[in-house]
Amino acid sequence: MLRFTVRRLISSIPVLFGILLATFVIARVIPGDPCQAALQERATPDACADFNERYGFNDPMIVQFGGYVGDVLSGDLGESIRLRQPVTDLLVERLPVTLQLSLAALLIAVVVGVPLGVLAGTRHGSKTDVATIVGANLGVSIPVFVLGLILQYVFAKQLHGTPFELPPSGQLTAGTIPEPFYEVWGIGENTLFEFISNIDLVNAVLIWRWDIFFDALQHLILPALALATIPMAVIARMTRSSLLDVLGLDYVRTARAKGLRERIVIGRHALRNSLLPVVTIIGLSLGTLVGGAILTETIFNITGVGKTLFDAISGRDYFVVQGFTLVVAIGFVLINLITDIVYTFLDPKVRVS
Amino acid sequence: MRRQRLRWLTLFVAFGLVVAACGGDDDDESGGGDTEEADFEAVAIDESAQCGTEEYAGNLAGIEAVDELTVRFTLCNPDVAFPAKVAFSALGIFSAEQLEETGGAPIDAPIGTGPYKLEAWERGSQIVLTANEDYWGDAPAVPTVVFRWSAESAQRLVELQSGSVDGIDNVGTEDFPTVADDASLQLLERDPLNVFYLGFNVDKPPFDNEMLRQAIGYAIDRDRLIENFYPEGSQVADQFLPPGINMYEEGAEGFTYDPDRARDLLAQAGFADGVDLGALSYRAEPRPYLPQPPQVASDIRDQLAQVGITVTLDEQESGAFIDNANTGNLSMYMLGWGADFPDATNFWDFHFGEGASPQFGTGFPDLHEVLADAGSTTDEDERAELYAEANGLLFQHAQALPIAYGGSAVAFKAEVEGAHASPLSNEQFSAMSLEGADQLVWMQNGEPSGLYCADETDGEALRVCEQINESLLAYEVGGTEVVPSLAEDYESNDDLTEWTFTLREGVTFHDGSALDAGDVVESYRIQWDAADPLHVGRDGLFTYFEALFGGFLNPPPPEEG
Amino acid sequence: MAIEEIPLSEQAAAEIPVVTGGRQRGLWRDAFRQTLRKRSAKVGVVILALLLIMAVFAPLIAPYGEREVLIATEGLEPRTEPCIHVSVAWIPDVPVLRTVESFLESNGFSCPSDEPQHLMGLDGNARDVFSRIVYGARISLVAGIGAVTFAVVIGTVIGLISGFVGGRTDNAVMRVMDVLLAFPALLLAIAIVTARGPGLFNAVLAVSVVTIPVYARVVRSRVLSVREQDFVAADRALGVSNTRILGHRVLPNSLTPLVVQATLGVATAVLELAALSFVGLGGDPDQAEWGRMLALERNQLFSSPHLVFYPGLMIMLNVLAFNLIGDGLRDALDPRLNR
Repeated sequence: MLRFTVRRLISSIPVLFGILLATFVIARVIPGDPCQAALQERATPDACADFNERYGFNDPMIVQFGGYVGDVLSGDLGESIRLRQPVTDLLVERLPVTLQLSLAALLIAVVVGVPLGVLAGTRHGSKTDVATIVGANLGVSIPVFVLGLILQYVFAKQLHGTPFELPPSGQLTAGTIPEPFYEVWGIGENTLFEFISNIDLVNAVLIWRWDIFFDALQHLILPALALATIPMAVIARMTRSSLLDVLGLDYVRTARAKGLRERIVIGRHALRNSLLPVVTIIGLSLGTLVGGAILTETIFNITGVGKTLFDAISGRDYFVVQGFTLVVAIGFVLINLITDIVYTFLDPKVRVS
Repeated sequence: MRRQRLRWLTLFVAFGLVVAACGGDDDDESGGGDTEEADFEAVAIDESAQCGTEEYAGNLAGIEAVDELTVRFTLCNPDVAFPAKVAFSALGIFSAEQLEETGGAPIDAPIGTGPYKLEAWERGSQIVLTANEDYWGDAPAVPTVVFRWSAESAQRLVELQSGSVDGIDNVGTEDFPTVADDASLQLLERDPLNVFYLGFNVDKPPFDNEMLRQAIGYAIDRDRLIENFYPEGSQVADQFLPPGINMYEEGAEGFTYDPDRARDLLAQAGFADGVDLGALSYRAEPRPYLPQPPQVASDIRDQLAQVGITVTLDEQESGAFIDNANTGNLSMYMLGWGADFPDATNFWDFHFGEGASPQFGTGFPDLHEVLADAGSTTDEDERAELYAEANGLLFQHAQALPIAYGGSAVAFKAEVEGAHASPLSNEQFSAMSLEGADQLVWMQNGEPSGLYCADETDGEALRVCEQINESLLAYEVGGTEVVPSLAEDYESNDDLTEWTFTLREGVTFHDGSALDAGDVVESYRIQWDAADPLHVGRDGLFTYFEALFGGFLNPPPPEEG
Repeated sequence: MAIEEIPLSEQAAAEIPVVTGGRQRGLWRDAFRQTLRKRSAKVGVVILALLLIMAVFAPLIAPYGEREVLIATEGLEPRTEPCIHVSVAWIPDVPVLRTVESFLESNGFSCPSDEPQHLMGLDGNARDVFSRIVYGARISLVAGIGAVTFAVVIGTVIGLISGFVGGRTDNAVMRVMDVLLAFPALLLAIAIVTARGPGLFNAVLAVSVVTIPVYARVVRSRVLSVREQDFVAADRALGVSNTRILGHRVLPNSLTPLVVQATLGVATAVLELAALSFVGLGGDPDQAEWGRMLALERNQLFSSPHLVFYPGLMIMLNVLAFNLIGDGLRDALDPRLNR
């Protein structure tokens, strides 16, 4: 187990380095000179020379890469060319937004997906089972942006004026400026606090403003639902087939033969083991949710990591592309790592080997 | 083992946090408010020796703070449009102290004299303005104005219908009837003060062929475009200037739809069997002059095909597209122009003057000459004659084919009083009131990149700035007439080269400091002098200053080789 | 997206029993028969067949051309509502039927037969949406299958080499694949298309490249398990060349998981291509590509929902077909589920 963890960690080091290299390359293969993009009609050779000097674009690639690695290790991700803001500031501002959205989506996916899968698995062949399969298949087949638009149409337009109406875009009602909790508490300001205060739901609770909490929640429901659909379907499907697998195994048959009640057979014996692969899926889902967030955030007008990245790619904002993809990729590797470790905790087979 | 894992996890988390940390905490509170008012010092900058030299392309010759409330500008050459220019929001007046303190880049927290002051800018979600209680003019009726944005017209409309915003910009073309029929909303149309055109780079064959360009001019059915892809209030363009701008020529001769003539011209140009012209470039972002770009592009493709001209649609990312157009990389493209300030020079000189970008290729000397004359002529009739001549030349050279003056509209809740649409897109929220509400929420197309509008060109930024900062003069609310603002009064000498402005007494900035002539000089000077340490801005371009006055002092050395 | 890769994990792929030579064909025939016995897979096959018919016979089915603008010819306007002829001449003139007809007409389900019929209305350029939907099937199918084919070929080569050579090469190659997988697929695809310039080919290429690691991993894990089998050892002892072993032993045995993965992969590819088109990185702006059609009329969501609804529905059906077939195939081929 220890050896496994260590080996797993060591094996992610080259991957992390590869990610550094890849983010560097991705930012630079986007065509269009950053100087051209930033200075536009004033991009004379001289002005560009100055510009490139300032951002170090004149150095040989290997020096630039070295500088990049050094900067990253010291926690500097550069400055947005378009917004004149440090990339790290943008991250502190926008990563929490995406995190909140992804976690909400994941929560919906798990809370709905797992029980549905269990229900379908235990009633193999029943109407519930068939409905779940059909629903899951439809769920993985509907594009996020189609679903997002449909949700907006139904909840903002068709249900307008009813209690079920939900806002079609944004994060909070206009004009609401929630005070960061650290200011309310009168404690010092630091990056971690700032990061946390940008998670609207958490901050609202910390400053005990339930009106803001529910407002944020209302704005969160539709995008989270749109984003949750695919993982929800995948999780339901996985839970079902995994449960079916386990139910066919000898020890479950034995338990049944002993005359244990079905609920205990499933609850005590089958479920625990069948949830193993589901853990992997959940971990992987969180990573891929960020990909889905690109579309969801665009449709629901939420300024998170996805929307920022997309704007930065089209606006040739090198350092934002570089910094944001880096954080997203590292996050993904990190989640995989944690998933693997959790998996080894849960799975006796892996633990022994 | 457990410890080992923990340590690694801690390391990773720490790494993530470090990545997230760094930088950030340098947004000092700017402008203390308690700055002592220094005794007024007369300042005079005289650069008239630079006029007409090789290095200096500009028209501004000097600025002088004559006394505390008097500013005098001198120009190299006469400029009829000078008052219209100084009313523009890129020339808003900042406090000299704040410019100094922010190192010439008050991007996040601009301090002005306007009816609203910046309360908070939550990047990505909203900008909140609160009423300036010490405002010199009529106090704004609504205490708080919130700016939000969404690029999708459908989303803006739904937000308005659901009541979460009070006014929206640019109603979608198809939504005009919906808003008009809704008793709880009001639709306010903007006079089209813009032009949509099809442009060619005449240096790129086969577009160097004048007859080919004219053929395209006759092949386009403008009525069909207006009827199908433009909202009410739009008009077919017969010349480059829209009707709301002075010097618009009634009954100018322009292209009409005449496919037979187009085929004839094509044959004369040597393309009797049709021709493949390659890419028709455009960007997908809707603009008031072009509300449905992909649809219009498709339809132009279809129209051209009917006279035997083949084009391929080339949709480009917005920034790259403008970039390519300005550097002359596009051979055939769909672009437009909306008025910044209501004067003919804003349309003509920017595109076809001597110093214009190579977007149409090397210019036409005959047109350069006419425009130069027109810009410095003070006699209205003479000027009108010259612009009529320019119309004729553009019709002949056809490097740009004016197609439409696009109507657009804003929509407000019915209960918003004083709601208006401005032809210059500078709606003033201080003129609006909303019974019983303490805030007014406005949803526009996009978020500003910065709020130091001297260095912004985007209308989304300018509209916010226009609530916060004021210029010497202003445009009347909802119109184009130039009216007094920070300057109560102004006068010029007879040959229009010397303009003297008298500032309003008792105007204070949002931080409490008083406005004086020194602030005006400083606000202009750091834009004007490219070598000044405060000539910084967001990206340092100061595009509008250059466009308005022709050039900077100490410009960066010209291109070599 | 990447989640789609999971249904057939590497572990599962490795567990599929290894078979030799002659049994292959029989296994496949069984698998297909078994797949088709499942109702859900049948639905998938039917949808796919319909899409194929649409694609192949598009010019016969579509009443108008893919890019045919109807503004001038029929005096129609952009975004005209759907017009469906319910009353056809051969319907007998029975009062009841007439009542039904007029009811439908007055409720917007139908329109008088003297107006030209447009089943799904007209788009923003007054082009017949139904015709464009039909032509769109071609692009969607070709692009989706093309992207996956390319990825499968490249992924297989990489997987075979990596698994067979082993050692450092294997390690290095797999680390590169890990790096590729660390980025959200859509993000990587957007970056690639931006780098190479928007266009259908580039979009297909991008969607393809980001899924290569999936196939490489599947093939590699198969290679690893086949390599240890007795018959490979026997081959080696007999002096059979590596290429031959690869071609005759390893490759056939990798087909099963590959086919399942590829079928599901088409579904993912179609989704991602549509997403790329939606953000404006798809092909020719005029082309009848479903994602693009939807993106163009996005702002008509509330005023003319049908313009958004039909392309969205088609994307969904296309994805659904491949998902259902892929699921069925997997169930049939995966021995663990054969109960």
